[in-house]
Amino acid sequence: MTTGTVKKQNKVLEVLKRMSRNKLAMAGLVIFTAEILLAVLAPVIAPYGFAEMDYTAMQTGPSAAHWFGTDEMGRDILSRLLYGSRYSLSVGLIAILLNTALGMVIGAAAGFFGGWVDNLIMRFLDVIQSLPAMLLTIVISAVLGPGYFNTILALSINGIPGKARMLRAQILKERNAEYIEASESINCSRFRTIFRHLIPNCFSPLIVQSTMGVATIITTMAGLSFIGLGVQPPTPEWGAMLSGSRQFIRNSPYMVIFPGLAIAVTVLALNLLGDGLRDALDPKLKR
Amino acid sequence: MHKYIVKRLLWMIPIILGAAVLVFTLMYFCPGDPAEIILGAGASDAEMEHLRISLGLNDPFLIRLGRFLKDTFIRFDLGRSWITNLSIADSIAERLPRTMLLAIAIMLLSVVIGIPLGVVAATHQNRWQDNLCMALALLGVSVPSFWLAMLLVILFSIKLNLLPPMGIGGLQYYILPALAGCTGGIAALARQTRSSMLDVIRSDYITTARSKGVSEQKVIIRHALKNALIPIITIIGTQFGRLLGGTMILETIFGIPGLGSYIVTAVNNRDYPVVMIGSIVLAAMFSLCMLGVDLVYAAVDPRIKAQYAKKR
Repeated sequence: MTTGTVKKQNKVLEVLKRMSRNKLAMAGLVIFTAEILLAVLAPVIAPYGFAEMDYTAMQTGPSAAHWFGTDEMGRDILSRLLYGSRYSLSVGLIAILLNTALGMVIGAAAGFFGGWVDNLIMRFLDVIQSLPAMLLTIVISAVLGPGYFNTILALSINGIPGKARMLRAQILKERNAEYIEASESINCSRFRTIFRHLIPNCFSPLIVQSTMGVATIITTMAGLSFIGLGVQPPTPEWGAMLSGSRQFIRNSPYMVIFPGLAIAVTVLALNLLGDGLRDALDPKLKR
Repeated sequence: MHKYIVKRLLWMIPIILGAAVLVFTLMYFCPGDPAEIILGAGASDAEMEHLRISLGLNDPFLIRLGRFLKDTFIRFDLGRSWITNLSIADSIAERLPRTMLLAIAIMLLSVVIGIPLGVVAATHQNRWQDNLCMALALLGVSVPSFWLAMLLVILFSIKLNLLPPMGIGGLQYYILPALAGCTGGIAALARQTRSSMLDVIRSDYITTARSKGVSEQKVIIRHALKNALIPIITIIGTQFGRLLGGTMILETIFGIPGLGSYIVTAVNNRDYPVVMIGSIVLAAMFSLCMLGVDLVYAAVDPRIKAQYAKKR
């Protein structure tokens, strides 16, 4: 057992070391970590409250008092973006945990049990995947209604089929490996074989896909609030801010630029990180 | 080959039925009383009850599901919108061409820009051209299309006054939506093209072709790109499928009355029959896309075609 953990830690360290040589990936990591810090510290850092209205400066461009300008109700855009990052990042992270967990359980069941269980699960996934992901998210979001946790649920469903398929493919590849036979021969329960031995060995592609998945979820969430579903105003969600700025696009383009920039930078950072992780986890792929 | 196509077409039936059941079930659990949605808040209880009975809204779930499936797939009666009372079939027939036009324009742009970017990146591996192309691809996946759409409107419609910001009319109305929607496709295609070109570019047959004295351009296009095409086609197919959903937001921003904005409006208005039928149409189109991808595989790669022939 001890040797197992030592070996595992070495592997993690090795991957981190390999990644630290990749400047772009590190840039992604730094930006994303900084964003998380900003989100956590938003109440301390933000110059104004997210709903605080400044009647002397309504819809004014960037200035010393309001770095990113103010919106139509005189609310400070920078402060709203900082508070908004709490929603985008937390929804992204929780939704990805949820969909990775569910995808793993479903994929593991399909891959490990095979036969009719596999068939049933795969056909069900076929049906889910026949609907465009954005449509499914919109419909589920309409069923569940607005709100923080409902939005997380709606967003987490659409990555499940992809994760489940990937894990199933990995498991089909791994299930005849010797270590599975070994664990079965020492009488490990099926549950233990799957979760303690099989899944950790299928981890690397899952980690990469999850990192990129957070980016997809953040964009999808913004898209969802952009069309009026998901998190509702006055919550300073980035997509909702973007959507709200649409009618002022002619006179106040900065109201459009900053929220979108926040989304784009976050997604870019996550993609850089995901690319770096992929190269670090599988050096063979790197060219 | 024909047998395979027929088999795949038949296989679409349970998938689409499954999608119909899934969407119906989701809509069944949607909050809100349909009778109130149809009649508006001012209707009396008696009127609402009368409507519920005439539409069969008081029946149990399974009976309503059965009736919906029978109407849609056996009688081909797609029903009417709850809000506008217009025939859904007519509305979709009117709107679908716009969505298809937008999706095809986006796909063409992605292919025309994305594949050359990938080829340039692969043939100049690790040089500045490669880095530039990959940086562009990375930007392409990171910029949300609805934001890019708004930036394009600011630049081309408001500042330069060159293109219409929204609505439909001539083809010029589709330029901005297509530009806004194509970045993701360009990025995915450029990356995939680069990596599958790199896979084949060191193969023996490429060396052979070069040593025969075939021009470099011909080697790259006729020999390397042709063999690298399979994964690229997969990406084109999945991107097209994703587009069918992605046009929903673009159509909403640019005020294009296509299938996507039809569904979005219906979701917001709780116009459930429209949402259900619209979703089923999208699912059918998506399945057809995937079938198309598989058939193109066979057309491009004689090895795959041989496999089908053997199966028969």
